[in-house]
Amino acid sequence: MTLTTGIPRVTTAVAARTVGVSKLYGMGDAAVTALDDVSVDMLEGQFTAVMGPSGSGKSTLLHMLAGLDRPTSGDVYVGPTEITTLKDTALTLLRRDRIGFIFQSFNLLPTMTAAENIVLPMRIAGRRPDAAWVDSIVETVGLKDRLSHRPAELSGGQQQRVAAARALASRPQIVFADEPTGALDSKSGTELLTFLRTAVTELGQTVVMVTHEPTAASYADRVIFLADGHIVNEMHAATADEILDHMKFLGS
Amino acid sequence: MLAATLRGMIAHKLRLVLTTASIALGVAFLAGTLVLTDTMGLAFEQLFGKVSAGTDAVVRTQAAYTASEGTSTSRPPIAASVLGDVAKVDGVRAVEGSVSGYALLTDNEGRAVVADGGAPTVGYNMPADVALRGDVDLLSGEAPNGPAEVAIDATSAEENGIALGSTIKVLFQGPPEEFTVVGTVGFGGEKDLGGTTSAYFNTETAQRVLGSPGLFDTIGVGAEDGVSQAELADRLAAVVPADAEAVTGAAVSQENSDAISEDLKFVRVLFLVFAGIALFVGSFIIWNTFTMIVTQRSREIALLRAVGATRRQVLRSLLLEALLLGAAASAVGIGLGLLVAKGLQLLMDVVGISLPSTSLQLEPRTIIVSMLVGTLVTVIAAIVPARRATKVLPVEALRESTPGAERPSKRRAIIGLAILVAGVAGMLANLYGDAPLSVFGIGLLAMMIGVIVALPLAVRPLSSLIGAPITLRGMPGELATQNAMRNPRRTSSTAAALMIGLTLVVSMSVFASSMRASFGDVLSDRLSADLYLTGPSTQSPGFSPSVIDAVAAVPGVDKVSASGFGMARFDDRDAPFTAVDPATAEEMMKLHTSEGSVRDLGENGIMVARSAATSHGWQLGDTVTAAFAASGEHQLRIVGIYDKGWIREDYIISLAQRTAFAGPQLLLMGLVDVAPGAELATVQAAVANALADHPDALVLDHAGYEKQGIGFLDTMLTFVTVMLLLAVLIALLGIVNTLALSVFERTRELGLLRAVGMTRGQVRAMVRWESVVIALIGAVSGAALGIVIGLALSRAMQVFGINTLTVPAAQLALYVALAAVAGVLAAVGPARSAANVDVLRAVVTD
Repeated sequence: MTLTTGIPRVTTAVAARTVGVSKLYGMGDAAVTALDDVSVDMLEGQFTAVMGPSGSGKSTLLHMLAGLDRPTSGDVYVGPTEITTLKDTALTLLRRDRIGFIFQSFNLLPTMTAAENIVLPMRIAGRRPDAAWVDSIVETVGLKDRLSHRPAELSGGQQQRVAAARALASRPQIVFADEPTGALDSKSGTELLTFLRTAVTELGQTVVMVTHEPTAASYADRVIFLADGHIVNEMHAATADEILDHMKFLGS
Repeated sequence: MLAATLRGMIAHKLRLVLTTASIALGVAFLAGTLVLTDTMGLAFEQLFGKVSAGTDAVVRTQAAYTASEGTSTSRPPIAASVLGDVAKVDGVRAVEGSVSGYALLTDNEGRAVVADGGAPTVGYNMPADVALRGDVDLLSGEAPNGPAEVAIDATSAEENGIALGSTIKVLFQGPPEEFTVVGTVGFGGEKDLGGTTSAYFNTETAQRVLGSPGLFDTIGVGAEDGVSQAELADRLAAVVPADAEAVTGAAVSQENSDAISEDLKFVRVLFLVFAGIALFVGSFIIWNTFTMIVTQRSREIALLRAVGATRRQVLRSLLLEALLLGAAASAVGIGLGLLVAKGLQLLMDVVGISLPSTSLQLEPRTIIVSMLVGTLVTVIAAIVPARRATKVLPVEALRESTPGAERPSKRRAIIGLAILVAGVAGMLANLYGDAPLSVFGIGLLAMMIGVIVALPLAVRPLSSLIGAPITLRGMPGELATQNAMRNPRRTSSTAAALMIGLTLVVSMSVFASSMRASFGDVLSDRLSADLYLTGPSTQSPGFSPSVIDAVAAVPGVDKVSASGFGMARFDDRDAPFTAVDPATAEEMMKLHTSEGSVRDLGENGIMVARSAATSHGWQLGDTVTAAFAASGEHQLRIVGIYDKGWIREDYIISLAQRTAFAGPQLLLMGLVDVAPGAELATVQAAVANALADHPDALVLDHAGYEKQGIGFLDTMLTFVTVMLLLAVLIALLGIVNTLALSVFERTRELGLLRAVGMTRGQVRAMVRWESVVIALIGAVSGAALGIVIGLALSRAMQVFGINTLTVPAAQLALYVALAAVAGVLAAVGPARSAANVDVLRAVVTD
């Protein structure tokens, strides 16, 4: 089954794309195929969730798309740029300037305040952050009175919201989130997902999120299901229950 | 537990290597010192053994007292007539008198043959009996026979191109004489006697030029086969005069080697001090390593505790690790010690201190001491961190830990500042009060310890200060500064190692620069001379008195005031004295006599320093009992009391008295007063011309003499600095260690930074700047402390005429800049591993 068959495109522009990407770990008999000939487009202005059981290759796919890892074969594009052939420095600059990240945990530098963490990528680039834009993001994530705190003084949810603010602060082409709610309680999780949803709807941001929680995935426009390194299905604007049912179906 | 300990050690190879290196370097220095001094000691013993090998017993006068002066005890000479009595004793095969003394060879052009580093230049009589010569062998030619024949050591002959049959001049305490070189001499396979120059004459000639006719220093006796040394000595004891004694050849060898050990003690103590500094600095690195081990392993330790390991077991496991590490590192250090010994030998050669050598001696004692010290230092440095480990609670196994973020303890800061203040108070009490010098020393030590203890407090402000310009270089610089101050204790103990090294180097250079700046003033304040006469090198024993006569005869020379030096026992206490020319000393050596006059010294007078007079309760006219090795006791009347100026000794006698009491001796210095109206340069040239026949002396003007004195100072300073650089090297290893561990600890942070767009170059820069900040904290605090200590030391030496306090700013700036460069170098490895951190490993939660 090829994934684009019979599914109408919501927008025409592609923010990131894999073409026939495979990833093997290990050598010889011990080799494990994490991704097997995966081709997928992540569309601009969309909130895409990547789901699947553990070992399905969903995190690996995200790492390939985000330029954190290189595929064994196949091509990866961020916007128009083919990134698998980029040298480390060019790839790093691409991450810095065009990609935002939210990881499951340890998103922040412990020595810096929330405000400093938010503008970190721009400071690394030696650029002056757009103050009005940063302010509006801070406002949206509700961190105004927490800006001078260090990560150790923030709750888990607050830390993830700082991470989300950082991911958006540099106006990246695409934001990747790897299990962003994995370490959060449900209330904090909801707050974070609402924020990501808002970013897509109101700011036109592109977000790709890996998750194993149907509730989290239900915030997405599009849910892609992975199993054993293959894309097995995708759903659009699905509810948590629908996703859960599909997961059960995949698992059976 | 042992298996767990071993596995843990092997798992962290880099940490193992760096910590081992830091202990090993300290131990290497310790072992190297012991090896070197053992080697030198043995070399000396071998030499003396060689010379006295064929002598079974020695007859000599009893010494007035046994204070050692150089390598032999001076005694009154023994009459040649004793020879006949000794020869009649049953079992005696051969008897010969021996005589030795100062003899300076000159080469074919009449230049002095100066041994390396001013080693002694000695003349001897060549025994006719080959067995009594010991291992002194003729390598070419024949033994000196006539009154104008000499045999010299092969090294002097070869290096100066002195061929057999050539005529050379030899200088003595008395007038110089010309000799034909008839032979070259070796010493049991060596071409010289431990770097000294040797001249051999026949006995009669030796008595004339080195001693006195009819007298010998000692009498050497060879036994017939089957007569033991002890038997021989016993039989001889029955016939020798009342004031003489007969001892075995073995006993004399032993005395000589004991005297040498005594002389080598200084060298040994000096090097051991440096070894101690190196180990002390190294212990900071061990401390740091174990602190980090404990931090990193707190979860592991907590887990062990949770599954039932007792505190004692945890402590034991860590101390066992320290023990193993210490023992292994010490073993490596002993191996390196052999190299260090070679290096030190080389270094001493370079700075002009040449000592005899033989193959390197690794005594069991060296191994035991080095192993014990290295292991103990390691274990002791590990105790505090290990005790902290036992306080890890089992519940911490379950907690997520964030590295770093430690605050300096208030208690520690207060204690540190208290020690610091007490130390400074002690130093001030000596400098501006009546407290003795020991209080100054203790205060100095306390001040250093106080600073080390309180240093964590200064890490934040210093980091901000040093980091300010670095922060301007963007994000990596800013992060580097923050990283440097996030764990003040770790940063401070890393920087403290460097600080100690730099404190010592800087205080030495401040002290030396103050001395240098003051030396010229000291000369003009404390002496009144236009020209100075000295030996050919700063370490030479002096020059013959005949030099003074030659110089006094030069037109334009108004006055010459000679002085010499000696050791004697004054009222039962050994002390050095200065011998002066009573006619000119008051004026030219600026004696500052407050009572009496130097002109009254006569035959039985003595001058004492004001301080000595006060402590002994002496008044003008009192009697001092002075015992001289060569002539016994003399009752000397105090004819003057002086304040110490140029002359730092407590006692002054006249040169004539010295000759009467101690036999003919060399002069150390001559002050020349140029007649009014005569031109200085002309007179100096004339004096130099007159000295052409006296290669044992030089004439220098004020600037030249100052330069000679400072030159020696610079040599010593270079030597000390090179030694201390070892401590700095160890401190740099400590920075590498700390950075490597910090990088390891911050893997996730580094991964995050890489993920959000920090390039490898920026990561490397970040680690590099952190290293520079740490190095500069050490360098700046070390320089500051060094300046304070250097100035205090200079101030404490005011009595020696150090009145100008100067800080060699350019030199200090260079040190600090070098420390920064060293910081960059130290960061190379850690920066590379930081840049190569696997981004995925950091961001993926397992």
